[in-house]
Amino acid sequence: MKRFFVLMLAAVMILTLAAACSKSGGEQAPASSNQPQEEQSSPKAETVTLKFWRPSGNDQENGAIDKLIANFEAANPGIKVELENIPFDNYETKIRTALAGNNAADIIAIDAPTMPSYVSAGALYDLTSFMEADANLSDIPDGIVESMKYNGKIYLAPINEANIAMFYNKKMFEAKGIPLPSKNVDEAWTWDQVLDAAKKLNDPAAGVVGIDPADGFGGGEGPAYFKTPILWQFGAEVLSPDGSTAKGYLDSNEAKEALRFYQSLYQGSKVASLELPPDPFPTGKLAISVNGIWALGHFKNNFPDFKLGEDWDIAPLPKMKRQAMANGSWTFGITANSKHPQEAWKFINYMTNTEGAKIYAEMTGVMPVRYSVVDQIPAMKEYPYTVFVGQTQKFSRPRPVTPAYPAVSAAIRELFADVGQGNRDVDAAAADAVKKIDTALKSLKK
Amino acid sequence: MALGKSYSLRKSDERTGIIFILPAFILLVVFVFIPMSKAFYYSLHDYMLVSGSKSFVGLKNYSALLQDAKFVNSIKHTFYFAVIVIPVQTAIALGLALLIKPQHRYTGFFRTAFFVPVVISTAVAGTVFKLIYNKDYGLLNALLSAVGVPKISLLSNPDIAMNGVIILGIWKAVGFFMIIYLAGLNNIPQDLYESARVDGATKIKQFVYITLPLLKRTTAFIIIITTIDAIKLSGLVFVLTSGGPNSSTETIVYFIFQTAFEQMQMGYASAAAFILFFMILIISVVQMFSLRSKVNY
Repeated sequence: MKRFFVLMLAAVMILTLAAACSKSGGEQAPASSNQPQEEQSSPKAETVTLKFWRPSGNDQENGAIDKLIANFEAANPGIKVELENIPFDNYETKIRTALAGNNAADIIAIDAPTMPSYVSAGALYDLTSFMEADANLSDIPDGIVESMKYNGKIYLAPINEANIAMFYNKKMFEAKGIPLPSKNVDEAWTWDQVLDAAKKLNDPAAGVVGIDPADGFGGGEGPAYFKTPILWQFGAEVLSPDGSTAKGYLDSNEAKEALRFYQSLYQGSKVASLELPPDPFPTGKLAISVNGIWALGHFKNNFPDFKLGEDWDIAPLPKMKRQAMANGSWTFGITANSKHPQEAWKFINYMTNTEGAKIYAEMTGVMPVRYSVVDQIPAMKEYPYTVFVGQTQKFSRPRPVTPAYPAVSAAIRELFADVGQGNRDVDAAAADAVKKIDTALKSLKK
Repeated sequence: MALGKSYSLRKSDERTGIIFILPAFILLVVFVFIPMSKAFYYSLHDYMLVSGSKSFVGLKNYSALLQDAKFVNSIKHTFYFAVIVIPVQTAIALGLALLIKPQHRYTGFFRTAFFVPVVISTAVAGTVFKLIYNKDYGLLNALLSAVGVPKISLLSNPDIAMNGVIILGIWKAVGFFMIIYLAGLNNIPQDLYESARVDGATKIKQFVYITLPLLKRTTAFIIIITTIDAIKLSGLVFVLTSGGPNSSTETIVYFIFQTAFEQMQMGYASAAAFILFFMILIISVVQMFSLRSKVNY
């Protein structure tokens, strides 16, 4: 018994010691990088370590970022970039807790619509002067520069545009004798045409689902990104133009029409399924899939037998009263507490300017924002990129710009789950969503 | 002299005692009591996470929570889980313990097999069950359709999704309580059974009049721990359903997490956490009194 206690005591002491060491070690790191700066004696010790957090993407995206860091470190021997890839689902939580605790990384990837909430919390460094001096703003489309701003100041640097379109299984269309949708951005199908095709394609006996209209039901920001455009396409808005209320907008007749249509896909005609297996589209279990540009590389690498142009094709997003798509993607910002904003900017500028953005676009196959990069990549002028580029230039709009965006995003996610999965009355569900958003907007004004 | 010596001895005993208690005490204060009192302080404020903006609102967070349909629903979901899991899981744990108590050749194998799910990480178990539950391609529906039962969609039907979490929860935790029951069973003196046999008691009578009463303390412990675990349910929900479909598996802890870290309403979430704390406190106290055992042979 005595022996046991001695052992326990020893174990506790070792643990405490280990905890103390790791703590002091963690605190020493920034201190040691500061001291040499003050002394200015040995230039070799002046290594600045930048912490960089981003949500982990697919292999191509992670590889491209690794390459950019390696290139940057080779060109800038005094700066080290310490990258941490954080699982996507926990990313926002992680940066919010870290920002609250003042121990966030110097550089963080930010999903553009959440930026106002961070800016109004004083968490982001104002990049306006950096961007104006180094970033050649005229090389970036105005609409995208606008979405990097809050209250007239720029807080984010963009690298690529996310983009979604209607993917369809060409062989299934041909087998059912359905005319193929046009690849021309100006000739998008209406939702009625899409529904018609989905009804013919839907074949539960053969295990084929007609359509996945908006990336199923997930968590995080995905639902708002995929589902808000459906509201827009039916002529509705989420918030009033001044961003003060959702009443009269998210519960307008247009919005309810969009929601009823969406509900009918799952609960009425049942051409959509509440549950899908992993990768249903390339495995031939889904005929029409509204999916993102990032899936191109994923399909190419993991499903080499499922060929674009032969087995499947890409058409613009369906329209109803109008065409619409959400813009914005992951961008980079500097935290207000960063001790090295100059060096952090140097790295961000390398990644997002022509040279870095070109490497990123070529390795990942995503659509770059800069005109200069689009010009240097011939593929951008060819199908399938013409669909994405055309939609971005003609029909893309930002998601609601408001510091209450986290509440707006959650309300939209829950609203579509409510009517789609829960088969709830559209009027009641919309009224609930409006109430949630307006409560959040009101509590901000105080 | 003698008196003085024993006095000083006692004093040094006291000092040793304090030194022994100190590490645990400091850890408790730093990591439990200070955060708890801070959380209580925040629960009285309208406190936003990243901005740190804070204004005193008194008990407004608490009264708003009780009218918040999302919070009330999360309480309902949690109690549905608890009310089913506590009796079912405890019964299965006792059954398994009785099965593996007699020493046979394969006892060790079964004991390990039943215990393995406890060791498997929540994330892995959740991911695997997600595949098993899949409506069209999962193992569960394949087995059910083989015996002619219609498909069930435990992941996408809001009415039954919680049952999927319950099955996973029981599968994962039952082995642990089986081991505790086994320890309880081994503590029952064998001579009680022997004399019962001599008096002609059947196996069932032995179970009802010897085993069950003497396990009452073990059962009380298991029920209290299971209740607390059930009310704090969150990890399985995170991995298996993320609160869906249509928020039907959102539990109280999941609600707190979302409010605090997705909506950044730290004050509101802290208030919810305190309501949860008092709920667990009251239930545990009631259980401790009602399950108090007077049986002692």
